[in-house]
Amino acid sequence: MRTLPILLLLLSPGAVLADEVYLRGGGRISGVIVERTDDKITVDIGAGRISVDPSSVERISQGPSDLSVYRDAAAELDPADVEGWRALGRQAMRKGLASQAREAWNHVVAALPDDAEANEALGRVFHDGRWMKEEDAYRAQGYVEFEHEWMMPEERESILSERSAREEAERQELDARIAADEEDRALREAEEEASRQEFWDSRMPPSGGVAYWDWGVGPSVWPGEPLAVGAEW
Amino acid sequence: MMRSLVQHRIPVVLAGLLAGLLAGWAAACAPAPEGPPPDPTVDEIVAAHVAARGGAERIHALRSMRATGLAYASGGRVAPVVREIERPGRIRLEITYQGLTGVYAHDGEAGWQVAPLEGRFDPEPLPAAVAAPSVDQLDIEGPLVDWREKGHEVTLAGRAEVGGRPAWELDLRLAGGAARRDFIDAESWMLVRTETERVVGSRRVEIEATFGDFREVGGLVFPHAIETRAKGRPQGLRFVVETIEIDPEIDDARFRLPP
Repeated sequence: MRTLPILLLLLSPGAVLADEVYLRGGGRISGVIVERTDDKITVDIGAGRISVDPSSVERISQGPSDLSVYRDAAAELDPADVEGWRALGRQAMRKGLASQAREAWNHVVAALPDDAEANEALGRVFHDGRWMKEEDAYRAQGYVEFEHEWMMPEERESILSERSAREEAERQELDARIAADEEDRALREAEEEASRQEFWDSRMPPSGGVAYWDWGVGPSVWPGEPLAVGAEW
Repeated sequence: MMRSLVQHRIPVVLAGLLAGLLAGWAAACAPAPEGPPPDPTVDEIVAAHVAARGGAERIHALRSMRATGLAYASGGRVAPVVREIERPGRIRLEITYQGLTGVYAHDGEAGWQVAPLEGRFDPEPLPAAVAAPSVDQLDIEGPLVDWREKGHEVTLAGRAEVGGRPAWELDLRLAGGAARRDFIDAESWMLVRTETERVVGSRRVEIEATFGDFREVGGLVFPHAIETRAKGRPQGLRFVVETIEIDPEIDDARFRLPP
């Protein structure tokens, strides 16, 4: 079974211990602490390093992390072991290890370019008789990208038109308020709107897209592409 | 690639066998109840829906729930998620992505987050733009149960079709002012879709959530597949629920903004 090597590594007394950094409120950073000073704790999360102020940390524990288990298993796998990489890719996906999953599935698709599971796991879709990137498929279907979301051109034009009309109406209203000696209140509201827009603008990553949570509440944008190895946050 | 999740399985009718095996429970997997007449009223639709879910008594008895599973986003991104909900009106979601676990919670009065996924490592209030939608999710029973007593308004908008199946469309105006449309499958009486409008940035977006893969857990029926997207857009979020725990003990502090 392809899962056996992974389990054996987990149980092995020689398995590399990793670090679980617990933040106040239940947040966690799982990986390997590579630096620890009075000012920061830096953790290798498998897709780069992330640093956090020690004052944000509630406690740190050591134990086999999902990342260390993956790395150990990957080191043992023959590059040509397609089914081994498939099992490892599935495991990494289930643990949310995006970079590691991508690495594993890339091994599969290198050997089996039309493997449906691997292509889907890599975010590709089957369109027009071939596997392609999701955005290419959207483009081929006539969707356009606007503010990190894909939509039909008519919807984009409608949004832009509404926005233009609203901005014009707001400008006229602001002028009228100023003229009516309500400058202070008008400026405050403009600042609040700018602040709201700044909030959304600050959360637009290069990729990842807006996330709509209608089953509980979650991050307003999905994290972007896994960081390149060595990238810093 | 997001596969459609509208196709759903109605729980297998095992009423006779289960009644014998599970002495302390009523039929854990009730057959699809006899439905209302061809032109039902709101009350008849809601009654059939509540019965299909497991019945009002079981729903009222539900104190807390924990669901674990995987969230799939575009680009092949997958993240384990844990969703906890507890009376009266508390909710918490944990999502783990690339070694980072974020917490997003609401204690019924205020929402908060710890969002290392967004580079935010300390507990902080949820931004208003994000907190507002979460208020709709706080009712563990769902807004259709005892809707009058809860101060909601529900009207029958008419017939609709969801995933090629007939459904009843209900218009809801929640007590807090939010509006949404609920679609009840006309054969299984399960909630198969909701549509709500949200303000995202400077524009209004219609969000649809589709529910499928209904399975019985502890005498109640829950969807194990949820898909949310902005209407008319190809990208969305897909949730695959793997386990549901009924009435787990959850420390109330998990829902409150840490000091």
